[in-house]
Amino acid sequence: MRIRKIYWITAILLLPAVFMMCRKASEFDESQYDPRLSGGEATVFDETSKAFGHQVPGLSSHDEHVHEVGDGAVEKTFVTAPAPINSGLGPIFSNVSCISCHHNDGKGNPTAGLVNSSLLIRLSVPGSDAHGGPLAVDGYGLQLQDVAVFGVQPEAKINITYTENPFTFPDGETASLRNPTYTLLNPYKPLPGNLMMSPRMAPPFFGLGLIQSIPESTILAFADENDADGDGISGKANYVYDPYLQKTMIGRFGLKANTATILTQVAGAYNQDMGVTNYVFPKESSFGQSQLDSHVDDPEIADSILNAAEFYIRTLAVPARRNVTDLTVQSGENIFRQLNCVGCHKPTIQTGVDLSLKCVSNQRIHPYTDLLLHDMGDGLADGRPDFKADGKEWKTPALWGIGLFEKTNGVPYYLHDGRARTLEEAILWHGGEAEKAKQGFIQLSSTDRKALIKFLKSL
Amino acid sequence: MKSYTLLFFFGAALLAGSCRKADVNTGSDFAKIEEQAISDFVHVVAIPGYDELKTKASILNTAISTLNIIPTDANLDAAKIAWRDLRVTWERCEGYLFGPVEDDEYDPETDTWPVSFNDLDSLLASSNPLGVDDIEALNQRSLKGYHPIEYVLWGKEGLQTAAGITDRQKQYVTSLSLHLKSQAEKLYSSWAPGGGNYGQHLLNAGKGSTLYPMKKDAFLAILEGMLAICEEVGEGKMKEPFDTQDPNIVESPFSGNSVSDFRNNITGALNVYKGKFNDDGVGLNELVRAKNIALDNEIQQKFNTAINSFNSITKPFEQAIISERIQCQTVMDALEALSETLDTKLRAFIQQNITD
Repeated sequence: MRIRKIYWITAILLLPAVFMMCRKASEFDESQYDPRLSGGEATVFDETSKAFGHQVPGLSSHDEHVHEVGDGAVEKTFVTAPAPINSGLGPIFSNVSCISCHHNDGKGNPTAGLVNSSLLIRLSVPGSDAHGGPLAVDGYGLQLQDVAVFGVQPEAKINITYTENPFTFPDGETASLRNPTYTLLNPYKPLPGNLMMSPRMAPPFFGLGLIQSIPESTILAFADENDADGDGISGKANYVYDPYLQKTMIGRFGLKANTATILTQVAGAYNQDMGVTNYVFPKESSFGQSQLDSHVDDPEIADSILNAAEFYIRTLAVPARRNVTDLTVQSGENIFRQLNCVGCHKPTIQTGVDLSLKCVSNQRIHPYTDLLLHDMGDGLADGRPDFKADGKEWKTPALWGIGLFEKTNGVPYYLHDGRARTLEEAILWHGGEAEKAKQGFIQLSSTDRKALIKFLKSL
Repeated sequence: MKSYTLLFFFGAALLAGSCRKADVNTGSDFAKIEEQAISDFVHVVAIPGYDELKTKASILNTAISTLNIIPTDANLDAAKIAWRDLRVTWERCEGYLFGPVEDDEYDPETDTWPVSFNDLDSLLASSNPLGVDDIEALNQRSLKGYHPIEYVLWGKEGLQTAAGITDRQKQYVTSLSLHLKSQAEKLYSSWAPGGGNYGQHLLNAGKGSTLYPMKKDAFLAILEGMLAICEEVGEGKMKEPFDTQDPNIVESPFSGNSVSDFRNNITGALNVYKGKFNDDGVGLNELVRAKNIALDNEIQQKFNTAINSFNSITKPFEQAIISERIQCQTVMDALEALSETLDTKLRAFIQQNITD
């Protein structure tokens, strides 16, 4: 009897819990969320040229300090070793500081070899290395260094030329797509005949802490490698070898998702872009080459500086959306969904729990990416595989902040190598898995195309 | 009868409305101040600032040319004075580091720190030509601009003499000053009508500008410019050498000009707030004053406290970080308080009150 009573009481006590569980499982309606909060709690309200450079809210005073040290670190101009400060540039490099390429924590200019250039070229030859990654070019490595300190010969110079291809919409409006050609001039030693090149322009810094916090299972749930649902979009995750953690991990960073962690991305940029050695990559980029200097100074930056730079990038907030109540913007958003742009540019993702960094933990974010690789067609193909990415595949880039490039960069450039000068051109370059969406865009009325662009500019 | 009463009330409401219109708090006068403040930012602050920059860059170039022809210590001193004088203007222009100066990277092109001593020594020891085109073609900014000029004029230990400047150094510093002059001219032209006319983007704010769709956007850009330099001085240029107690990190160390640089940065930001460079104009301060005198007083007081606090630092900054730490901390505290007020209260004011 007594036992039965306990059962009853337990059952009654559990009942509300069961209801609560039911309620927990249901989601709030979309209208219950503020659509401006692209980065959830890690959103910042600034629409000026400085919009990409704010720290996420809610850092402890210690974390704020580390963020600020990192902010200082990414602005440092490196100089030739040995020097009292910022020593260790080169001897061969692409640019002298992080911000020289990542203008205002954003993108930069699609030029190479100039002081304000943001474009580099990855190199390899057919085949793959022991970890499934691209095969380095003898005497050049995996990345071209096209600049050198005074008196040293760079690996080669990069020449970029464009051919303009006019495009006409069915309604008679026109656009022009510039098709780039990259050639290497004055190589310091002969280049192999089977050389593969991939141009890459510096992507923005912000929001990467949130991206790193997205559960792997969430990314994999977007994948549809064999296009089982028949929508023409497959999408696969890249799996890459992380040289620091010495294991294969899902790729999230880089234009082909060829890097697993922010730390490796930052450390790789110090090493390959600036020639600055660090604890992740302690060997000079010119190791084994004639340009190598004789200084015994590796690593050239302190471990704490690399960590601070990594933390800075992990804790840069996402700028809030603008004009979300504008009817044209809302119409553009609707078209964006109807054309199935959202098939790859996923509007909403929930980040995982990260106890060490509350502001990126468990956030409802709007990155407009699935972080997957997609075949983008011949027009954009670089022909250079990178781990599981083939020569036609690129990672879906996040679209948050894309409407602010004009502010942060003066002149905006889009796509992996900055060939597109407008968002319209960028869409028209889409092919492969995005061909259907692009055709849908082309068939839109001029009013609807403009609405779609206005929506993108609100991001 | 009823309709008369209604009409009366309606008329009274209209009257009240028209009275309020005359009041700057909500009416068109506030909009006029907005218009004037943007116009004065362009015509009284930004363009005159760059105009003065190009004039002073030309004076430095002339002084260096004179030094090369007649290498006396008096002429070396004159060149140093011209350099310091140019720095005053440049540091004040840093109160509005947005637009072409940022987009086309005039700042890093002319004001990169540190100097690359090794490459500089290699360059001077080489047979590399040193004409202005050769300088412009150098792919390292740490070999161009203010600081390599400072290095040659003062010497590494600040002990340079006119006789000690080599022929190669003369050629180099002349070309550097020509490069600086041409950069200042381009920067001026980028804003001026007849040139890049960047000022017009601001003047069109809220009237069809794509960069500044609303006037609010222009004021927020102006605010971000002021805020960025206050934070850079307080949290970067001063704090980093202070925290590490490393004199090597201090900018402008050869001339010992750092404290002056810092003070002029903050003066530049205050100029922006008050809509002045040399001449007085209408600034953000008048907009704030029209609705919130207490806030304007607070902002101006915090600016003045910060600027005056530099007076307590009596030594060059690279020494002060060791021997005048309390004074340095006081300045950084004042700058933090100023930045905080600009970032929160002035930003909120702009967002709430400038709605067009």
